[in-house]
Amino acid sequence: MNQETAFWILSVVAVLGALVAVRQRNLVHGVFALLLFFAALAGLFLLLMAEFIAAAQVLVYIGAVGILLLFAIMLTERVTGEGKRIFSRGWLGGALASFAVLGALLLPPLRATVLPAHAQPVDPSVRALGEQLMNPYVVTLEVLALLLTAALIGAVATAQGTAKRKGAAK
Amino acid sequence: MSWELIRDILIATVPLLVIFPSLFAFTTWVERKALARIQNRIGPNKTGVPCTRISLFGLGQPAADGIKMLFKEDIVPRGADRLFHLLAPIVALIPAMLVLCFLPLEFPWAKYIQVPVQAFLLDGAVIFFFAITGINTLAVFMAGWASRNKYSLLGGMRAIAQMVSYEIPLVLSAVIVVMLVGSLNAADIASAQEGYQWFVFTPWGLAAFVIFFIAALAETNRSPFDLPEAESELIAGYFTEYSGFKFALFFLGEYIAMFAISGLAVTLFLGAGEGPGVATVPALSAVWFLAKIFALISLMIWLRGTLPRLRVDQLMAFAWKFLLPLSILNILLAGLAWHLRGQGTVAQAATWAASLLILYFTARVLDGLSRPQARPRQYKYAE
Repeated sequence: MNQETAFWILSVVAVLGALVAVRQRNLVHGVFALLLFFAALAGLFLLLMAEFIAAAQVLVYIGAVGILLLFAIMLTERVTGEGKRIFSRGWLGGALASFAVLGALLLPPLRATVLPAHAQPVDPSVRALGEQLMNPYVVTLEVLALLLTAALIGAVATAQGTAKRKGAAK
Repeated sequence: MSWELIRDILIATVPLLVIFPSLFAFTTWVERKALARIQNRIGPNKTGVPCTRISLFGLGQPAADGIKMLFKEDIVPRGADRLFHLLAPIVALIPAMLVLCFLPLEFPWAKYIQVPVQAFLLDGAVIFFFAITGINTLAVFMAGWASRNKYSLLGGMRAIAQMVSYEIPLVLSAVIVVMLVGSLNAADIASAQEGYQWFVFTPWGLAAFVIFFIAALAETNRSPFDLPEAESELIAGYFTEYSGFKFALFFLGEYIAMFAISGLAVTLFLGAGEGPGVATVPALSAVWFLAKIFALISLMIWLRGTLPRLRVDQLMAFAWKFLLPLSILNILLAGLAWHLRGQGTVAQAATWAASLLILYFTARVLDGLSRPQARPRQYKYAE
């Protein structure tokens, strides 16, 4: 019963946070509502006994992505003011496109997989997760790491390129 | 929810909520006294027991300050975001309080707990600690942004840049301990150091402890890294527009965060609650733990009285060009030493000497490379 109560509280907070994040005109308020949504999601992960995922959710999304969003807002001029449109002109097409992508991603595995009738026992420990990452999924992990490094270097190169061009223009 | 569970949760949490704020009150007094002594002053010495002439070296000062804070007017600037202005001190305090429960503090009354509700028994206690500490940065931003004050916002931005930069060496130096123990569980890390096998007694552990302590100073905005609240440049930084009890909450949150991060340093490197007499009287474990925390806090106070504040460029260069490479090298060294372990005392001594030498020379070289050069100043945006 406790878990059900916790689930409902967290779900309501998550949905409300997401709604406010989308509808809020004040961008900084919107970011904090998004962070509230992330926090509720971390709570839901915790409810599923996925402690490590919950911690990673807080660490990556609230700690890193949130700060990144705030920095982006602070460094961009004239986005914090009131009275900005929150719906762009092509919102209907955008919504249709995003639903189409979601369906294209979700439908094939949903139709192909047969869900087990009984819950499989899983070991939710951090050790098991680490062994999985280091043993069967090590190539995926390394490729992801490489991709992130490439993105990092690309970001630095892009930033330096614009700085140099500005210097040359002077 | 059963009554046993509620009782166990209360036994596990209420002591933390009582002990650490009282320690905070005591620490403010110690800090004022110690700083006064360093600066050749006397410090608070009048306030003692009310309505008497007993002054007790000014020990009543924290209580008097607390009452004063409660009765001060709460001023909110006209242009401020009222909701965020109210929320910021709360968001600053809650994560600081929350991470206290990830410290493996074994109180004597913990034996009455039947359901294991203590959070430090979690599998990933250490990573939870770092995750929740990160929320503090958001509170600083909230305060700086909601005040609608240039100095507050500047202080807030400085604080975010600093906290994000120093979190990396902080976590990387903790990684060494996690790697050597093979667990993220705080209780496992504490028990791995039993028999005075503290990690601070190994070369890589010592280096990691020093890096961790420096990064912790920056992370809690302590001097010499107190740029976000530099009085002479920013008035007071992100809490310029805060008064009364909201200011007190910020103050409390900052000190609780100091206790928490010192507690993590004690857990990771200084053998948690181990000390003389713990084997016979297990209750001493909590006393030793708190005493070690207090020793680190005293060190922070001493540093505050001794060192001048860094410049912004020095601060960033120090984090990215000195601490980060050094801590990565330290991880490599620790891994190497772990593979060479248990091959006789001579081999061990050789490993230790070699790693100490490598660490020392790397630190010297990095120090030379990372110091910002004195150049004629170039103005990027003001030409």
